[in-house]
Amino acid sequence: MIKYINIVKKEILLLRKTGIVLLSILFVIISYFTLLSAKNALHAGGEMPKPSTQQQEKQRIVLITKELDTPFWDKVSSGALAEAKKHGASLEIWGSYGNNHEDFIKKFEIAIHSKVDGIIIQGLDTEEFINLTKVKAAFYEIPVIYITNDVNLNKSLRKTYVGSDQYLAGKMIANQLVSDMGVRGEVVLLCENKEEYYQQQRIEGMIEVFNSYPEIQILIAKTENTDEQVISTTSDALNQLPGADGFIAVNAYMAGSMIEEISRRSQVDPYFIYTFDDGPESLALFETGKLDGILEQSPKEIGRLSVEHLVECLNNPMQSLDMNGYLTEIRLLRAVNDHE
Amino acid sequence: MAMMWIGLTYYNQKTQNQYNEILQRYLLMNEVTSASQQLITDLNNYLITPTKSNLNRLEFSKEQVTTAKIDIMDLKNADNDFALSNYVNLIESLKETTNRSLTFKSENDTEGSAKEFNEATRISKYISEMTLTLLDTELKTYERFYRGIIEQSVQLKKLGLWLMLLMSFVLLFVTYWFSRSITRPVQELTEAANELAKGRFDRQIKIESNDEISFLAKTFERMRVNINNLISDIHEKAQLEYELQQSKLLLKESQLKSLQSQINPHFLYNTLNTLSKKAYLEGSEETSELLVSVAGLLRYNLKRIDRAVTLEEEVTVLKQYLDIQKARFTDRLNVFMEIDENCLRVKLPGLTLQPIIENAVIHAVEPDEDGGRIWIKIKNNTDYVTVEIEDEGPGMTEDQIQHILLNAGNIIEQSVSEPSTGIGFSNVVKRLRLFYGVEDVIEVVSGKGYGTKVILKIPIHEENEPK
Repeated sequence: MIKYINIVKKEILLLRKTGIVLLSILFVIISYFTLLSAKNALHAGGEMPKPSTQQQEKQRIVLITKELDTPFWDKVSSGALAEAKKHGASLEIWGSYGNNHEDFIKKFEIAIHSKVDGIIIQGLDTEEFINLTKVKAAFYEIPVIYITNDVNLNKSLRKTYVGSDQYLAGKMIANQLVSDMGVRGEVVLLCENKEEYYQQQRIEGMIEVFNSYPEIQILIAKTENTDEQVISTTSDALNQLPGADGFIAVNAYMAGSMIEEISRRSQVDPYFIYTFDDGPESLALFETGKLDGILEQSPKEIGRLSVEHLVECLNNPMQSLDMNGYLTEIRLLRAVNDHE
Repeated sequence: MAMMWIGLTYYNQKTQNQYNEILQRYLLMNEVTSASQQLITDLNNYLITPTKSNLNRLEFSKEQVTTAKIDIMDLKNADNDFALSNYVNLIESLKETTNRSLTFKSENDTEGSAKEFNEATRISKYISEMTLTLLDTELKTYERFYRGIIEQSVQLKKLGLWLMLLMSFVLLFVTYWFSRSITRPVQELTEAANELAKGRFDRQIKIESNDEISFLAKTFERMRVNINNLISDIHEKAQLEYELQQSKLLLKESQLKSLQSQINPHFLYNTLNTLSKKAYLEGSEETSELLVSVAGLLRYNLKRIDRAVTLEEEVTVLKQYLDIQKARFTDRLNVFMEIDENCLRVKLPGLTLQPIIENAVIHAVEPDEDGGRIWIKIKNNTDYVTVEIEDEGPGMTEDQIQHILLNAGNIIEQSVSEPSTGIGFSNVVKRLRLFYGVEDVIEVVSGKGYGTKVILKIPIHEENEPK
């Protein structure tokens, strides 16, 4: 009887021991999870963006273009941004898409009214635009620098111009055309009917070259900068000069549609087609061999230089910039083609 | 638990505050838009109907716009620095344009005023647009933060649950442990008390705790130890007393016997002497010698029996006794003696041998018609002297031997087969043991039908050895 009781006692003891062990394991597990959870909870909270307390205001510069997100302008932007970072100024790229003038001018006006410190903008040869530069920007004392497309010095009060020498560019292209085509032939120059200053400069350069070759006939075709108009004008030109050998799209935007029309009539290859690199399709056309030559500008350098000068102007208001402009490098790229 | 509650509430509050802050921003931006639109409307009203009340309204709107602008300026952060500065300046431009328009109006330059108004309208539109852009930026900026907040609250909920589990667990455990620490000592004490009550004073009482129960246990323990000691003391004393009583009774018995045998012996002794002489005078020499032996025996018996006598004396008495018995039993009694003369000097209590021989005579010789033989051998064994008394009688069973030897201490029990008034065998054994202080002075070898042999081992001590 006593033995039995003892056995039962021992069993109870053992049970108690295992119970204790189990419970302590459970305890450890639960506390581990609790701690893990606590750690998670503390780290989960996101950081509230700190209110800006810096007293010293960064210089606010805006770069406005009417051809946002094109390869040419992307390069300009990257050059400009890098330079701005270097100088500790904050730069924003604004603009309109697809050569939308209205939106472009609106952005300009917003920038002026927002009293930014400086504006770098693609020049537009319209009265409204020039007015904004001359009157409004000057009224708010915001320095404006034109890039890539200049406007007549007499008309505008821009601080300076940074970009390529369009006149020289025109000459280079014309020279290339001559060297490719030969001293005789018929050339069509397709440009905008709005008399933009930079286009005129280009044409002047070309004409100067062509004038030295009397056996080269030139036809200047003016058109609106819309696809249908470009096509119809190109068609007219081809009708007028069926034997045309060379085409130059003075406004690089028109190159695409022009080539499209030409290709509709016949093979593109035998024609000598040139344009500038500041159109959205220029590079693509060049790489697919449709263009025989393209005038390459230095977009990155343009961006960089423009910012540099603007900052300089802001930091030393007394020092004035060269009104004639700062010209950047240009080179002509020739396509390697086989109909030489 | 309280900590948990406080913690969770704090976090909740923090989250709410953050939400509020963010909402505030949006509301402020909206305020700017509506204020600027209101300004344009009021300007328009004023330009159309230039009344004083309109002007007041206009001024009021201007103030609203200014207030909104100031509020907005606090919202600057790293992400929207540029846009916000533009925004603020736009508001400024709007105000300036409005003022210019008013100036023109006051100078009655309607055209100029209208132009400025148009510009103001345009700016107001720009402001509305920019508000949307800003809100968009804000949303993007704070999206991360929102996600963080949501994540955190989820984690906090989980944490809350785990904590609750943990807390319940811990509480249960603590409660259990606590109650155990109270009940366990009490249980142990109860058990110990139970043991004591049952009379088991051997188990030690030990309780490990630091409270009153432990104190109680200690006192219990002391009590137990004391009781134990008392009990053993009582036992010892009882034992001693018992032994003492034994000895006393033994002594008394012997004394009593001795006294008894002393009462009439003097008279008897004298009578015997007279008889002996008379017998001798009447010519019965044998009778006379017999009477002398009897007298000698009697005289010996008169002496105090608790003093030590020499073995020599005992043997002499023995011989006298045997003479008497021979006279009674004649041929039936045959005694053979082998006695070593050298060891008769040892001392032993008086009247030791005679009762043994008497026993032998009574059991071995008397009942039998043919009688019996008795051997008496006394040998010197260096350390002790052996006295062997052997007979051919009916013998005793082992039980009987044990009975006698063990009951030597119990004088109340007397062998039924010893109806004599003489000193019993047990008495002899007991006295021998007491005299020498050892138990095995006497040994009985016997078997039923094989006779009985009583062996006395008398130790030779230096005191016993006469110089």
